[in-house]
Amino acid sequence: MGEAIVITSGKGGVGKTTTTANLGTALAMMGQKVVLVDTDIGLRNLDVVLGLENRIVYDLVDVVHGNCRLKQALIKDKRLEGLYLLPAAQTKDKTAVSPEQMRNLVSELKKEFDYVLIDCPAGIEQGFKNAVAGADRGIVVTTPEVSAVRDADRIIGLLEAEGITNPRLIINRIRPKMVRTGDMMGIEDIIEILAIDLLGVIPDDETIIVTTNKGEPAVYDQNSRAGQAFRNIARRIMGEEVPLMNLEEEGFLSKFKKFFGFNR
Amino acid sequence: MLRGEFFLENTLLIDKTLRSGQKVNFAGNVVILGDINPGAEVVAAGSIIVLGTVRGVVHAGADGFKKAVVLAFRLLPTQLRIADHITRPPEDEEITKDNFSPEIALIKDGMVVIESYEGNLGKLLK
Repeated sequence: MGEAIVITSGKGGVGKTTTTANLGTALAMMGQKVVLVDTDIGLRNLDVVLGLENRIVYDLVDVVHGNCRLKQALIKDKRLEGLYLLPAAQTKDKTAVSPEQMRNLVSELKKEFDYVLIDCPAGIEQGFKNAVAGADRGIVVTTPEVSAVRDADRIIGLLEAEGITNPRLIINRIRPKMVRTGDMMGIEDIIEILAIDLLGVIPDDETIIVTTNKGEPAVYDQNSRAGQAFRNIARRIMGEEVPLMNLEEEGFLSKFKKFFGFNR
Repeated sequence: MLRGEFFLENTLLIDKTLRSGQKVNFAGNVVILGDINPGAEVVAAGSIIVLGTVRGVVHAGADGFKKAVVLAFRLLPTQLRIADHITRPPEDEEITKDNFSPEIALIKDGMVVIESYEGNLGKLLK
């Protein structure tokens, strides 16, 4: 029996879909059988980020309404053996499925897969309620902005109301330099308000934009710092203890020293 | 009756942090073992005591009880109301992680004042 984890944030644009794609890919790279469920009906993106858009025939709504079997709607990833996507419908809206139907769907998926990662839409309305209905655990994604942290706080309260206690936090798009100069909220500031366990911190990284647009998650890129952070988080999800990575960008001098074998 | 003059008879005890969007409305005093985060709101007919940080909106004495107080480990409210008085914190005041102490807000001479709390409610009125 697998585990269903909802990835949510309240606010839009903080990186839920990117996080879902990267964590799913990283877990599958470690040999886990993973299905990613896009619950953003009407505004689906996860298929695009994974580069699987052109393979969609059936979607989540078709499965729930009995237009096809679950197996027919699951899209196998083009690179990884154990990774599957259940895409959202694009021509319907959030009212096309109910929380009860989602609960049944997710419990079906849990029989087949080690991890069911549910990509939640922004907002706190029906789309959110559908996404959290079948989840066992929650991951809250936020960025170091007051508005995103405020929404994350609201979402943590709503998750508790839905029976998902102790969600874990991912802080996305941290810029260590700005934190150091006091221009950006730091990790401690965010933890102090939200008071939940930290699962990981993703540094702001331009390679994410490139990999996302190419439909190729950053975890494949060994040079991407964000990719490294996502791989670490995947290991933590599997129960490994992995220390937080050093977020400081490598300056010219440290690269130079490394090149010549000096230890810092 | 040993109630004293700052509190009403009934008290609601809440043993968790109130998060954004959560609201508590009670016809008595409210004691919170946790924080009141920004976007959360507590409205009490009596006094409000927070064993934590107040960042949201608090309204003590909401039905006009002017002796109501707001007492917290750290008082950084978005807005603080007592009876029909509405206040917000001064814009230039910077409170950091280390420089804070328990504070109490109450109405004195027709104005809401905030004083550091040293464990004695009675002497605050003198």
